[in-house]
Amino acid sequence: MSDGEQNPAAIPTAMPDTQGDGRWMSLHNHFMTSSKDKEPEVVFIGDSNVQLLHQFEIWRELFSPLHALNFGGVGDGTQHVLWRLENGELKHIKPKIIVLWVGTYNQGHSAEQIAGGIEAIVASLGKSQVQAKVIVLALLPRGKNPNPLRERNMRVNELLAKTLPSKPNAILLNVDPGFVHSDGTISHHDMYDYLHLTRHGYARVCQTLHRTLLQLMDGRVKTTEQ
Amino acid sequence: MSHGDINPAAVPLVGNDVQGDDRWISQHYRFLLDCKDKEPDVLFVGDSMVQLLQQYEIWQELFSPLHALNFGIGGDTTCNVLWRLQNGELENIKPKVIVLWIGTNNHGNTVEEVAGGVMAIVKVVNSLQPQAKVIVMGLMPRGERPNPLREKNERINQLLRVWLPRLPGVQLLDVDSGFVHSDGLISRHDMFDFLHLTAAGYAKVCRPLHELIMQLLEETPEEKQVTLA
Ligand SMILES: [Ca+2]
Repeated sequence: MSDGEQNPAAIPTAMPDTQGDGRWMSLHNHFMTSSKDKEPEVVFIGDSNVQLLHQFEIWRELFSPLHALNFGGVGDGTQHVLWRLENGELKHIKPKIIVLWVGTYNQGHSAEQIAGGIEAIVASLGKSQVQAKVIVLALLPRGKNPNPLRERNMRVNELLAKTLPSKPNAILLNVDPGFVHSDGTISHHDMYDYLHLTRHGYARVCQTLHRTLLQLMDGRVKTTEQ
Repeated sequence: MSHGDINPAAVPLVGNDVQGDDRWISQHYRFLLDCKDKEPDVLFVGDSMVQLLQQYEIWQELFSPLHALNFGIGGDTTCNVLWRLQNGELENIKPKVIVLWIGTNNHGNTVEEVAGGVMAIVKVVNSLQPQAKVIVMGLMPRGERPNPLREKNERINQLLRVWLPRLPGVQLLDVDSGFVHSDGLISRHDMFDFLHLTAAGYAKVCRPLHELIMQLLEETPEEKQVTLA
């Protein structure tokens, strides 16, 4: 983006500690520490959709065997992930694949700004993690009924579908199995609060993601898995 | 409050749709439907601590068999829960036990206000569901390191220990089973983001809770009548 400097979604920003318990920075420090003594093949980075995945069995089933680390934050927007990356979370590791899932929490930002923020992260990773392929997960629909944020997320995906193919280090992956029903609603069986995924929702999303990871890792992982 | 002022933590408030996708009211409407369709013996009400519990296996293990409903909404304050309970979430049901876990998100309120907000909720429950025994869950410590919110939550618990016994049919369950280690730290094994519980964290909290619920269910006189009949 030519106006990258002006895009708040693309300016590295530490999350302000509005609540006062310092949790966001604590997590960042943990990610810094945990990356020091590990050699992950895959790193997940993003917001609470990434973090919550770590809490369910499916993580241990599908992703732990791939030597994956989970750097999911608390309500992170693109600007916060950018800050975390530029402040060393991946400094000591050289993963082959980075799964990026962020953007739905970008409060007050336009679809263009969010897409710009994601592109900025991809560009930053292109410099600091030259060996890594970045899987950018498309944003999921949200809200029980049609609403402006759903439209915004879909627009972000459209924008990324245009720009990401020209980036040599990134692919866009849409893992939405069809969460929006024909009547326009999303079920709480998939997203318990119409934003965060249930175990069932994760199971639907992770099949596509896992298959793509295996393909990108060239089948070599299958042996590790068993 | 001492000056007869209104306690801002005891004022019913619709959840703020900050993000713009109406998720809060969608969840409230879903709970109203649950009230019409279901006959819970146990009702959980509160914020994300309640809500997230339903996502783990332990909910199916310990609480689903008790015919429990989960009315947790992430980010809720005492004000939001008060509004929900006064706007239909206690209608068409007659639970024997109601578990209330709320207050850690009341960032704009003082210790006294939050405890007063919890008291106000219990009073509403007592008047709309007089048969129900109420379990108020103590607030958990939070943040990796010692911080003002940890102290605040502990002081709210201290007040609730003193205040709750004034109300009938309610008890406080202190569930902080050693989450803060001797070095003052909380582990990510218990709280993955230093606020929300992991499966292991919930296991520690839910065993004493389950025991207490079972005890209260056995004490329920209605249950005895059914057996005698
Ligand atoms: Ca009913």
